[in-house]
Amino acid sequence: MNVTTYPSRNLFRRRGRTILTIIAVMLAVLIFCAIRTFIVAFNAQADDAAADRIATRHKVSITMQLPKHYIDDLREVPGVKAATWANWFAAKDPKERIPFFAGFAVDHNSWFDVEDDMQVSPEMLAAWKQTANGAILGDSLAKTFNLQVGSDVVITSDIYPGEWQFKVVGIYTPLRKTVDRNIFLFRWDFLNNDPRTVYSKEHIGWMVSRITDSIHSADISKRIDQKFDLQDDQTMTVSERAFALGFVGGLAAVLKALNVVSLVILLIVTLILANTVSMSVRERTHEYGVLRAIGFPPGQVRNFILGESLLIALAGGVAGVGLVELVINHALGPMMEANMSGVFQHFFTPRWVLAEALAAAAALGLVAGGLPARFASRLKITDALRRVD
Amino acid sequence: MTLLIVVLIVLLLPFVLLVLMKAVPFEYNARSLVVRKVTTLATALGIALVVFVFAGALMLGDISRVLAAAGRDDTVIIMRKGSDSELTGAIANEHLGLFRGPAQVSQAGGVIGEIVVVVIADHADGSGSSNVLVRGTPPEGIAFRPEIKIISGRAPRPGTNEAIVGTAIAGRFKGLSAGQSLDLRRNRPLIVVGEFSAGGASYESEVWGDLDYIRNALGRQAIVSSARVRLNHPEDFDAYRQAIETDKRYSMKVMRESDYFEKQSAQTATFLKVMGLIIAVLFSLAAMIGAAITMNGAVAHRSREIGTLRALGFSRLAILTSFLAEAIVLAVIGGVIGSALVLVLSVFVSFPIINFQTFSEIVFRFHATPAVFAKALVFSGGMGLIGGLVPAIRASRVSPIEAMRG
Repeated sequence: MNVTTYPSRNLFRRRGRTILTIIAVMLAVLIFCAIRTFIVAFNAQADDAAADRIATRHKVSITMQLPKHYIDDLREVPGVKAATWANWFAAKDPKERIPFFAGFAVDHNSWFDVEDDMQVSPEMLAAWKQTANGAILGDSLAKTFNLQVGSDVVITSDIYPGEWQFKVVGIYTPLRKTVDRNIFLFRWDFLNNDPRTVYSKEHIGWMVSRITDSIHSADISKRIDQKFDLQDDQTMTVSERAFALGFVGGLAAVLKALNVVSLVILLIVTLILANTVSMSVRERTHEYGVLRAIGFPPGQVRNFILGESLLIALAGGVAGVGLVELVINHALGPMMEANMSGVFQHFFTPRWVLAEALAAAAALGLVAGGLPARFASRLKITDALRRVD
Repeated sequence: MTLLIVVLIVLLLPFVLLVLMKAVPFEYNARSLVVRKVTTLATALGIALVVFVFAGALMLGDISRVLAAAGRDDTVIIMRKGSDSELTGAIANEHLGLFRGPAQVSQAGGVIGEIVVVVIADHADGSGSSNVLVRGTPPEGIAFRPEIKIISGRAPRPGTNEAIVGTAIAGRFKGLSAGQSLDLRRNRPLIVVGEFSAGGASYESEVWGDLDYIRNALGRQAIVSSARVRLNHPEDFDAYRQAIETDKRYSMKVMRESDYFEKQSAQTATFLKVMGLIIAVLFSLAAMIGAAITMNGAVAHRSREIGTLRALGFSRLAILTSFLAEAIVLAVIGGVIGSALVLVLSVFVSFPIINFQTFSEIVFRFHATPAVFAKALVFSGGMGLIGGLVPAIRASRVSPIEAMRG
């Protein structure tokens, strides 16, 4: 008999209890990973943003626009390779097939040069230049709306009154996992020429620049903002990551709370495991007395109990990780990506989260076993032998 | 609510049975819980944490109702048709006078037009920045809402660049405390001169300044974002709505202010509710397993006692109810501890979240109502009942002869 046989045999003595505890740990690992995956997925777009793109917005408010001529000034800034702009259209689907999707009025001549991780064919681009009310949309949105190239579509807006008629001239596909596949793009000049644009004529929402080298993005950003510093409308240039985070920013507290909640479940399962181990230890107090009496040192007894606790926790951890792989990465994740790609472009539990979960399981096994192990190793042999229950 | 009552009745059933029939005295269970105090405490603490998370989610999901507190039934909000929020609305100045026309409008309260804009502000603690909603209101705008109270400093002087800040965000952002200022545009600052409260409503997460000053600073002289109209009676709503929405001179949408606020936070509330529900269900599974393990242990440990009780003449049903009652009490102890944690949360923690409609931050105070505690306790009892069911059935099946043979 060695350090591992006794704990592993012990697991089968109260089979029901061991199985229930393993299920509890498994469940905790699943919850932990699900919450972490949610947080990771929420930040994914920002984390994956291209390092060589920076965004320039109005310094004061996302609802305030910049004069159109800013784009020409921006293009003169050294370090800016290409630049484009967009306006927020606050697009809505009149048939409400999708709760939210982004609608941008963009410059059709430069948009795809800068946003080069959205892929369109040269024919589509050529058609866009020919069609004033032409629109290019993400493949996922096209599927939701059941649209093909050549279809007509009506969109409404939270900002601009009435119905807006577009003709689909193209569908873009993502070159990166985290590209939003639900964006509706149409020509900025079409918006600007419409009489309903009375309050924002010749104004643009924000500008995006590709820069020559990403190491100097902070310097280039500063140069851009300096250029507009003496104007009435000052700008704020940030990395595309920070720009994307600006929209997720308001959820920071929710994500932080979720983070805490994911630790609470570990605490709960630690209590459950500690309870299981201490019940077993109490039942076997007599036996530990015998072990001590035949010469096992206290440290050995402690290791038996810690080992048992660790084994249960790891069994639950491994089962949990397997379940995560199966449920999240092969069922729930693809489903979320297909149906909610406006929010989650990429819903996947990364390896490091799985590793974190396994490490957490091991740690909680040691913590939960700690107290009962201490209790058992400190027992006086005579007291332990006297206990019969 | 009905669900709550049904579950409550089911939970009370074992106790009623205990009293009505010749049952095992509950003292027996109470003492058993005390004797196994470590196990009892570990299980109860686990349940307490679940109840804590459950109640927290419950309170977050209630955000709509809390934030809608400012909405009045006798006040309507008018926005451009198609706008879902004040932020994206635009109404020409000259229309404001026309809104006063219909007979339903209160002569005392009248009509106010306001401009709403979100401004980025840095957190005072250096943790990034968020959008803050700035409202430009006319001189009568504060009196229009009797719930607004200046709690420190003073009210802004009309026509100046003075502003007041809602108590929920005062001090949270750089520039948003009395004496500080926030730039709307180059050389167009808003100077904070006071702090106001609004009975917990979302106004408390806004900055209020002068309508004309803010409009001029933003270059939007000719428009307001939204209009509010005080009616003579809440029942006048339908008639007034009819009058405005059918008027061909403008294409407007009329909503009750209370409905508007509720709709504003509906998206955020749904998001939080769904998330909270999923988490609560998963967490309660873990807690129920915990309760089942403990009760299983209790049954195994006490099989001799159970056998004795059976031999003394207590029925199977008596044993079943006895163990069920024990499980429920064990879980409710956890529920009580969890409720205490909830109380701490509601007193000390305020929580900033995004309003998806305006992209701005609303600071939310957890509101622990009696209903929250009632739900939390019933929830904990329910976990005890479900977790304790199988062990209790096992206990009721213990054969007296075998058990006493040991």
